[in-house]
Amino acid sequence: MTYDTDVLVIGAGPAGAVAAWEAKRVAPELDVVLLERDARVGTPVRCAEGVGDAGLREFLNPDGAPWVARKIRRVVFVAPDDTEVQVAERDVGWILDRTRFDACLAERAVGLGAELRVSTEAAGMTCEPDGRWQVRLRGAGGDETCRARVVIGTDGVEAMVGRWAGLETRVPARDMESCAQYVVEGIDFDPDAIYLQFGADIAPGGYAWVFPKSPGVANVGLGLVALKADARNARQYLDAWIARRYPRGAKTACTVGGVIAHTTIRQTYTDGVLVAGDAAHMINPLSGGGIVNAMKAGRLAGGVAAAAIRAGDTSASRLSAYHAEWMELLGDDHLKYYRLKRALEDLDDQFFNSLARTANTIPPGKRTLGRIFAHALVRHPQLIPVAARFFI
Amino acid sequence: MLDASDGGGYRSPMRLAPAFPEIAVVDLKVCDRCGLCLPLCPPEAIHLALTDLVVDRSTCTGCRKCIAPCPVGALTMVPA
Repeated sequence: MTYDTDVLVIGAGPAGAVAAWEAKRVAPELDVVLLERDARVGTPVRCAEGVGDAGLREFLNPDGAPWVARKIRRVVFVAPDDTEVQVAERDVGWILDRTRFDACLAERAVGLGAELRVSTEAAGMTCEPDGRWQVRLRGAGGDETCRARVVIGTDGVEAMVGRWAGLETRVPARDMESCAQYVVEGIDFDPDAIYLQFGADIAPGGYAWVFPKSPGVANVGLGLVALKADARNARQYLDAWIARRYPRGAKTACTVGGVIAHTTIRQTYTDGVLVAGDAAHMINPLSGGGIVNAMKAGRLAGGVAAAAIRAGDTSASRLSAYHAEWMELLGDDHLKYYRLKRALEDLDDQFFNSLARTANTIPPGKRTLGRIFAHALVRHPQLIPVAARFFI
Repeated sequence: MLDASDGGGYRSPMRLAPAFPEIAVVDLKVCDRCGLCLPLCPPEAIHLALTDLVVDRSTCTGCRKCIAPCPVGALTMVPA
């Protein structure tokens, strides 16, 4: 069976759901189809589920929402030698329940008239002479073909839509974080804080995290760069860290995945195709956070796609407006964060242990990231070239 | 700057004649289908379908870039 649509969004995560939502909001007359490979939007969860407060509020109100697991008020950085540095910031963020959160975003899109198709995966696509994309679909009901004026690829780290459309989506190994995470129960920590621990033996090239879901229960995981690791894989590093830090914790629900700590792909568009979110490497390369970025990119993509279809021009030159808007919004900042990430890679555990002690000389109420950085520049001159690479 | 010669394989040329002909295979009992290995593969030989992750034997160049990053160690090298 073959059917036609105006916009086909492939992947119903935050980027895809917001893209479908925005396309219908801007142009309600258009047909928008949102595809999800799994049987249910929001599963499996491949995410630590942390999100900043301000970015989230651009899309949904988290106060009292059922898709929130926990409000976060503090960030605790943990040095390789276990020295803790509590950073004072206000309204830090939230730990989500991604299964419910993703479902809520998809429901918004459906509420505006987008059609959600679960248990359906895209198997390939070709461009027709009239400029439409013909996408082969595999689903519970058998094989189908969908012809779309614009395809929005929000298919995550694997990024098959970009590949099919001829975009460069490959990642150098040093910019791929291999991640593993358990939900750990029965452990002791401040349930209003997230913990981030660095260390070459803990998570080389990345960090380990504790993101609370409720008192005593947390997402405990880590991301590392395999090129810097010994022969162990991410899950083995995580098992070792949990055994040392939370020997009595009960590990449940293991999940793994890749976080692309790179910069936005050179070209996020071509004739009749846009890619957004993890699929376009839009994760913050320093923090590894990608949820809000994905939603912001999805909003831009949905809006540009809808306007292009209305104007009757879905060519690459028209769709390039999306890339320009993204680069102005966040893409150019990510180039700076990436440089900072690369510069920080040259610093060793001894430096971070010493930096933690410096930071703890600042009174707790005044210990913001900005003040820590300012103090650190004075006490640790080796940071000056790092700062220079960020600001130049 | 991002594509300097130490770019870790980004857009690196494919190795057409590996010295030791090996290819990657995936153990589907261990693989979690997270998709991490797909963008790491220079010749794009790895494909993920709903229930399957497949390494294309004819395209894999044996470069090993996918082996260590797998978070659960599901990929290994075998003689081609």
